[in-house]
This record gives sequence, structure tokens and C-alpha cells, in this order.
Amino acid sequence: MIGGLFIYNHKGEVLISRVYRDDIGRNAVDAFRVNVIHARQQVRSPVTNIARTSFFHIKRSNIWLAAVTKQNVNAAMVFEFLYKMCDVMTAYFGKISEENIKNNFVLIYELLDEILDFGYPQNSETGALKTFITQQGIKGQHQTKEEQSQITSQVTGQIGWRREGIKYRRNELFLDVLESVNLLMSPQGQVLSAHVSGRVVMKSYLSGMPECKFGMNDKIVIDKQGKGGTTDDPGKSGKQSIAIDDCTFHQCVRLSKFDSERSISFIPPDGEYELMRYRTTKDIILPFRVIPLVREVGRTKLEVKVVIKSNFKPSLLAQKIEVRIPTPLNTSGVQVICMKGKAKYKASENAIVWKIKRMAGMKESQISAEIELLPTNDKKKWARPPISMNFEVPFAPSGLKVRYLKVFESKLNYSDHDVIKWVRYIGRSGIYETRC
Amino acid sequence: MPYYGSEETVKELKRALSNPHVQADRLRYRNYITKVIRYMTQGLDVSSLFMDMVKASATVDIVQKKLVYLYMCTYASENPELVLLAINTLRKDCADPNPMVRGLALKNMCNFRMPGMIEYIEQPIVAGLRDKASYVRRVAVLGCAKLHNLQPYTEIDGSIVNELYALLRDQDPVVVVNCLRALEEILKDEGGVVINKPIAHHLLNRLKDLDSWAQSEVLTFLLRYRPRSDDELFDILSLLDTFLQSSHAHVAVSTLRLFLNLASAHPAVQADALLRTSAPLLATCSAASRELRFAGLCHVQQVMRSQPGLFATHYKRFFCEYSEPSYIKFRKMEILEELVNDENVSLVLEELRSYCTDVSPELAQAAIAAIGRIARTYSEKCLDILTGLLALKQDHITSAVIQTFRDLVWFCPQSTAAVCQTVEAGVDGLQDSEGKQALLWLLGEHGDQMGSAPYVMEGYIDGLKTELSSTVKMELLTAAVKMFLCRPAETQDMLGRLLHYCIEEESDVCVRDRALLYYRLLQRGVEETRKVVNGPKSDPSMSVLTGRQGEPISEWASTFNTLGPLAGRDSCPQTDLISAADQPSNSAEEELLPGSEDVTLSSPDDTEEEISLSLGAPLSHESFEKMWLDLEILHRQALGVSRPRTAPDTLQASLQLVKIQTLAFTPGDTVPWKAYIYTRSSGTLILAELLQGDPQAPGTDESLVLSVKQQPVNQHAIRRFVSVLKSVLQTLDVDTS
Repeated sequence: MIGGLFIYNHKGEVLISRVYRDDIGRNAVDAFRVNVIHARQQVRSPVTNIARTSFFHIKRSNIWLAAVTKQNVNAAMVFEFLYKMCDVMTAYFGKISEENIKNNFVLIYELLDEILDFGYPQNSETGALKTFITQQGIKGQHQTKEEQSQITSQVTGQIGWRREGIKYRRNELFLDVLESVNLLMSPQGQVLSAHVSGRVVMKSYLSGMPECKFGMNDKIVIDKQGKGGTTDDPGKSGKQSIAIDDCTFHQCVRLSKFDSERSISFIPPDGEYELMRYRTTKDIILPFRVIPLVREVGRTKLEVKVVIKSNFKPSLLAQKIEVRIPTPLNTSGVQVICMKGKAKYKASENAIVWKIKRMAGMKESQISAEIELLPTNDKKKWARPPISMNFEVPFAPSGLKVRYLKVFESKLNYSDHDVIKWVRYIGRSGIYETRC
Repeated sequence: MPYYGSEETVKELKRALSNPHVQADRLRYRNYITKVIRYMTQGLDVSSLFMDMVKASATVDIVQKKLVYLYMCTYASENPELVLLAINTLRKDCADPNPMVRGLALKNMCNFRMPGMIEYIEQPIVAGLRDKASYVRRVAVLGCAKLHNLQPYTEIDGSIVNELYALLRDQDPVVVVNCLRALEEILKDEGGVVINKPIAHHLLNRLKDLDSWAQSEVLTFLLRYRPRSDDELFDILSLLDTFLQSSHAHVAVSTLRLFLNLASAHPAVQADALLRTSAPLLATCSAASRELRFAGLCHVQQVMRSQPGLFATHYKRFFCEYSEPSYIKFRKMEILEELVNDENVSLVLEELRSYCTDVSPELAQAAIAAIGRIARTYSEKCLDILTGLLALKQDHITSAVIQTFRDLVWFCPQSTAAVCQTVEAGVDGLQDSEGKQALLWLLGEHGDQMGSAPYVMEGYIDGLKTELSSTVKMELLTAAVKMFLCRPAETQDMLGRLLHYCIEEESDVCVRDRALLYYRLLQRGVEETRKVVNGPKSDPSMSVLTGRQGEPISEWASTFNTLGPLAGRDSCPQTDLISAADQPSNSAEEELLPGSEDVTLSSPDDTEEEISLSLGAPLSHESFEKMWLDLEILHRQALGVSRPRTAPDTLQASLQLVKIQTLAFTPGDTVPWKAYIYTRSSGTLILAELLQGDPQAPGTDESLVLSVKQQPVNQHAIRRFVSVLKSVLQTLDVDTS
């Protein structure tokens, strides 16, 4: 399948090269560098075919990761595998950067050895990998006899993602609903496309082999319960339910049960993991509305006025708001007036960056700028890139609500009430753009 | 990066590794070994330390073992004799009580890739296949494949193959999949692993336990299995059902591929599967990562080849985002162009229009070409946009618009008048040769409809000396000759100058030859030239009508979910702008030889003058009825084709394309079916009735019967009309059947 994996820095120097199959020659490493990294023009396709060898590449910050194969493989799978690789590496040493990779190369080789064997994916769950990987901070270096013997039980056991005999003094659960809301809006305020992609991330510190049950305001469940008359107030909860377009779960979730009853039950891995990932497109609460007004005054002046309106409960506070208003390339000077926050013209980025630390719901704020332009001979019209926005809000723009999270552990003597649970909602902007 | 002091470093390391004090201190020893590995990855040659490292492998410290094995795998091939020293340690490790140590040793032994090792490895592998720890079994199973790879031409060991087939029933899912992979490699020459009924059903039942990578692979293996009966087929399909909605895109798509292949005899099942996979596919198209998005888009394109309408309601998903890389934008535009229908056309066009001014000229040109292709169906709106773009006066946009016009006129003759008007209103600033060629072709082909055409062309002829591109010169020659044929008075002088220059002064042989060819042709007389030079003015195969048909699913199902859809076609669509299928613009041969289609269209009688149909003023229902009753039937014949099953609008539109007006027809599938049509031709009015009788009634068949009335009588015109009508109906018939 995958004949080899290469990691390069932005200059094309090889940081990691692991060849799994003999059909990938030594020159493959250089072929990719010469043809893709050092090629002048922009990337034509994420799959490049050089001398009957396919190179699948992704880029993380300025690191190139390339999977090489001579076979006709499933492209989506290879890409997803590369992302998984990145996730695993991130879980071990944080951000994927040249320095981190150089410092952790022994670990990376070890990981590559376990994740793939002879080019076939073997084991890619961070939790399950932990027992096989020796290079990991202090704990890993002093692996005790006891822990090693546990490998046997895990290696042969049915539940690959959790080892037995975990004990905590305090049983705690952290649940984060992390969403990123994406928007593309026309200058007239018409929503061209909007979707929310969300993740439910859990950190569980639970003893034993607990069984968990997770409930949310999914429309199908609520409708079902509403009909069955099991909820106390079907009318009310029905109104607040959301329609999920599609979702994926961590392998620990019993899919058969989800399909039949739509209930999400699972034995959680220990530590941090992603329980589910979902996407919605209907009834999205757009936290901010951007109203742009661009007026060209003659050939050398541009007047821009942008109003942002926050559209959520007044008691909530949005944070880290940043509005990026693109300016033409031939801008010579900019005067900005804003009522709130700080705004600055950044010539290197060709944009006015307006930052507001906090903003409550149902407020509005505005910025106006006068952009002076240098007269140019270039007749090319300015393409007017969209105004983009970044923010963070303390609610889920999809409307998703966690209804319950129950923990059952039959063998140990703690019950659902003894578990301390924390739930947090964070909505962030994905690509949040308004055309102007 | 080998340092200058590399020899020193290696010596130092050697000293340290052999120092008994270091060896006694576990952490220090391990630190030195890590250093060796670090130098190794940095490209320093540390192979001389092999002996010391082999010694270091004899340890209980698992971390140290791993590091040493990593080292040994890299340098094994350079020190084959020394590896044998390590073998003993490795074989001892294969019997270690710790499964991880066993697995590690086995894996590394197989990874040495040295043919000399085989005799030592075989026994531990066989033992590993029966190990109680699944981790070791996983390694051993793939070890079999590696072993086979080391000695590819030796006979296959039947006992190992049998053992692997037995291990397909293993309780560990990864072992199961590894078995499949290993068998596939070992039995490659015999056609790979055999999937019989028990294995297929076993795999299907285990599918949900596998991780997503394994699922994808198993689904691909299952492609080999053909169910015996329909009952079994539907059992399998219902087992697969849940995976169709898997939100791992690659699993969903793999399942879809299997579905399509299994259900190849049941189109309804296939269509249903496509419909249900559309959600995960769409989700992939807006996935967070660009590469997955790209893969998703490519697969959407494949599905659309058969089901163009499947994604029509989701067209907004394919709007481009500003920050997307161009390879995604190109694909999205291709898809948008396919998705256009009556409801969304204005929004899609609006969207495409905004891409036309993109900073990247390639992208802008692709967007303009896309609008041009939509214009074949929705001419008016698109022409407005294209005309508007000309006003921007940017070279690359103007050039792309003119090229689009050329293609449009070729495929869609109705828009000729509007295009000519726009082009006449002023096109300047064409810099690139493709744009110039397109303009010249338009001037030559439709110069009769543009008053100022000769003057524009004169400009080009005067500037001939500075023109560098020979293709432009050749196009200019052809265009000038065509123009001369329709407007001799204005063109004669400049054509003379052009030919003179090209024959006497031009250095390019091709241009000179082309000029000479036209010169000699003109010497034979104007009529002769006209016959040779004037070809059809629009696409004779009427590909506009056939363009939007769905292909059968089997066309692409076999390459679905492989690299094919991503790399098969040129990923840069702007190339078809230049190489538009059958453009006559560059090839003189094509113009000189009358197309084969042309022969069928023209009447058998060669001496008669060319008769063309025209629409003229529309007839009212009353006057048609009155005339129909007054006139006699002049001609009646069975056309030999059945009634086209297309939508009434399509029929009407296609008839209009060949200048036949439809007055009325019976709606739907009612029998008998009738249609009344009329047209004008060289001063006569032709009225006709198409009739399809009741197929149950005796003496009638599926074929349409045509009755023609005419005023005043002109038999040539009728013959011409019948042949045109027949060819249209045949074209439609082929499409729908």
C-alpha cells in the first residue's frame, strides 16, 4: 500500500524518510523535492505522479508530509491516513514543526514502525499506541514491569483503546463541545453557504471499565422520544432540537446501538480523545453579521465602512474578535476610525486588522477607513477579496446541547453521582467570510 | 550533513560504547545509542559501530533494544556477515515471555531484507503465526509476505498459505486483514487471494470490528466475490448498508464502489446507493482539509457522469472559497457548470462571474470558459455576462471571452447574431495568439454579419510584419479567404497584399505553403474555392443535444475510488478551451474535406442548389389550420424512427436549432401521438404532421409517419426538409435509447 513516508522542511531537506517497500527507490525522495517542493508554480494537485510513482502530500505549517506508493490506491484513505499521522504526532509532541520533528525523530521512527508495517496501517489509536512506544517523556522511560505485563492483556484483549486496572482517586470527566462555524455571505447579506463542523472532545479520568452514555438534542432522538412520550416536556425539547447532517464516532462507540436506538454508549479511552465529529447545515446561529460598504471615490481613494453586529444573548461575551479588511495592493495610506477595539493597517498583509477583545451579544460596532491609493498604470481591477472574521463565543453555533452524560461502573463502587463532570461549549470561526 | 570531524565523532562513540563503565550504567548506555541514531538520521556514516551495536542488543532494556534494531535495519545490508551475530539474540528474543519483545524481534528480523536470512527466519515466523498474543500474530502474518518478497521466484509454501487462510478466522481484526494482505502478495501470480462464499460472508460479518483503513481494504477485496443468487446479493447489500453512510469518506466510497459492482444488474439499487452516499460525499467536499476536499470533488464528478442531477440542489456547496487552492477551484467550477438548471442558473452565473476577475489569469479564463459552456443552454444570460466582461478591457479576460465566443458559435448557432454584434462593437487589446486566432476565425466565418469585419482584418494584415506567431498568420490566411468569398469587393485588395507578403517574404514554410495553397485554389475560380473552403458553420454532430446525457454507471464504476478519478484527466480544465473537440480553426485538412455528416445532410442530387431552411415570421394557429385544410398532402413517408422519448421542451428546442418551428403536439404518452411543425425554405412554406399510431392497432408499428404539405410546391425543398428532420429525430432517438 504505502511504500514510504517522507517528511521535508520548507526548503526540501529530508527530515524523516522511512521506506517500507523495496519498490520505492532512494531517488524517490529527491524526485518529490525537485518536482513539487522546488517547482516554481503553485501546487497543481495534491497527488503528483512522477515516473509511475504517486506522491500524496499534505502541508502542515511549512512541513511537507508525503506518502509514496507505486500501487493504485484509495486516495481518500491515504490522505486520511496522513492526517491521522499528524494527529498522532501532535498528541505526542505538540505542534508539527521542524524543530519538534528534529527533536523527536527517534520517537517518530518508532511511531512509523508501529503504525505501518510493510506499508499496511496497523494501529493508529494514540491511546493504544502508548503501550508500544517507549519514547515518551519521563513516564515512558521508566516503564515498570507491571505496566509491561499489562501489554499482554491489552494486546490480546478485545478493547484495544483502554487498558485494565486504571484507578483514579477523583473520577472526573471533561467534555468540550468545540465547533467551528463557516460562512460565506454575499455583500447583500444573503447566506451563500454556511455550515458548522463540530467535535465533542472528552477527557476522562475514570477508574475501572466504565460504561458511558451520552445524550444530546439530536432531532431524530428527540422526535422519537416525543412520540413515545418518554420525555417530560416533548413540545419544548422538540423545538430546541437540531438536525445533524452526518457524524462520525470514535471507535469505542457501539455503532449498532446508535443505528438502532440512536443512543451513544461506549467504554471511554483513558485521557483525551475525540468522541464524535459532526456537521450541521440547518438553523445555524451566525454569531456575527458583517455589513460592508465600499465606495470608490475617484481613482485614488477608497472609502470603506464595516459594521459588525453580534447576534446572540446579551449576557454572553464573544472574545478574540478580529476583522480583516483587505486593501488593494497599491494602497499608500490608510486612516482608520473605530468606536471599539484597535485597528491597524498592516501593509505587509494588505489588510486592515481590527481587533476587539470582548463584545457582548446584541451589540454593534463599526469601523470606517479611508484608503488612499497610488495611481497605477495597471488596468487590472482589484479583485476585492472577502472580509474575513475570527472570534470565539461561549456557545455552540449549531445549537447542540449536551443533555446528559451518564457513567455506569458495575464492578467498582462509584456511581454516576460521584463523577465530577465539566461541560464547556466553544464556538470558533472557521472560514467566516463576507464578500464586499 | 556530514561534519568535518565526523571520523572523530564516530571514534568517540565507539570508545564510549565499548567502555564497561558506560555499559554498566543503563541510562548512559542508552544515551550514547540515541546519539548514534541521531547521527545516523543526519546522514553520518556510523556503520563502523555495527559490532558495538550488536552487542548492545543483548539487553533486557526494551527501549535500548528498539533503538538498536532501528540501527541494524539501516545498516544490515552493508554488513551481512555481522548480522548473523545478531541473529542469535533475535531468535532468543522471539521466545521472550513479553509479547512486545517477541513481536519486535520478529518484525526486525523480517525487515533486514537479506536473502541469506531466510533459513533463520522461517521457523520463528511459523511459530509466530501460532503465538497467543495477537500483536505477534500480526507481525508474523506480514512476515510471511516479507519472506515471499525476499525470494519471489521460489515455490509458494502451501502449508503457510493454508495456515494464513485459517487465520482469516482469527479473533483479532488486524490479524484478519493482515492475512488478506499477505495472501494477496504471496499469491499475486495466481491472481491474488481467493474470496469464496464462506470467506466473503465471514469478512462481511467482521467488517464492523475493523478500523477504517482495514474496512476500506476489505471492501476492495470483496470486489472479487460474485454472489451466486439474487437472495444472497441482497443479503450482502443489506449488511453493507450501514457502511454506505460511514463518515469516513474512504469507507463510504469503497462501500459505494462495492455496491455498484455487486448490483450491476439492478440499476434501481445502484441509483438508491448513489443517492444515499451523496451526503457523505458532500461532507467530504467541504471537509476541513483541502486534499480530502479535492478527492471528494473528483468522486462527485464521477458520480455526476451518470447522475447529473443528483447534486443539483446542493449547488451552493460548490461555490469557491477565496482561500482555496486553485486545484479545488477548477474542479468546483467544472461541477458548477454541470449542475446548472433553470432554478439556479442566475445564481450560479453570478458566482462564476465573480471568479472571472480573479487575480489568477488561469482561474479567470477557466471561469469564462465555464460560462461559455453554460451558454450553450442559457445563451442570453451568459452572453450578457460575457459582453460585460469585455468592458473591463483586460487582456487575458478579453482573449478568453473571444475564445469562448468562438466555441459557442460553433456549438450553438442561434447565438451567432448576438456574438457578431458584440464583436463588431469593438474588441481590442488582444495580445496572445489564442485570442487573435479566435477573433480571426469569427471574422472569417461570420464576416457577412459584421459590417466592420474587413476593416478589423485589414488592421491585422497591416501589422503582419510584427506578428510572431505562425498559427495566427495561418488563421489570418484562412479567414481572409473566407471573407473574400462573402465580401469580395472590400477584401480583394488586402487579400492580394496578404498573399503577396506570405508567399514572397514569409520565412515560415508552413505559412508560405498555406498561402500558396490558397493562391492556387483561387486561380481555379471562385466557385471552386467556395466549395472547398466553406464548410459547415456549426457543429454538425449536434453535440449540444447529446452533451448532457448520463453515462451508464458501469463506465466508471471500475475505476471509482482509485487514483483514476484524481489523476486520470488533466486536472487543469483550461486546456479544453484551446483544444475544443472538433474546432476547425487550425486544421486546413478538415476544412478541405467535407465532413462525413455533411454528406448525409445534403441531398443526393448534386446539381441542385443548396437549400436552407429558415424560420421566418411565426404562424398563428388559425392560419396554420386553415392552410392545412386547404392544401393537399404532397409527400408521405414512414420515417423509420419512433417518437423521441425526450421532454417536449428538448424536442422543440432541437427542432428550432435546425430552423423547424413546432406549432403543437399531443402531451405526454397519449396514443396516437401527433405533432404539427412548419418551416420556410427558398420562398415556400412547408407544413408537416408527425403521427405515431396506436402500436396495438394492426398494420401500424412504432415508426413515425410524416405527412408534408407545401405552398408553393418545391420538391427539392421537401427532400431537404425530410432529411433534416430525419437526422434530428435519429439523433434524439439515439440519445434516449
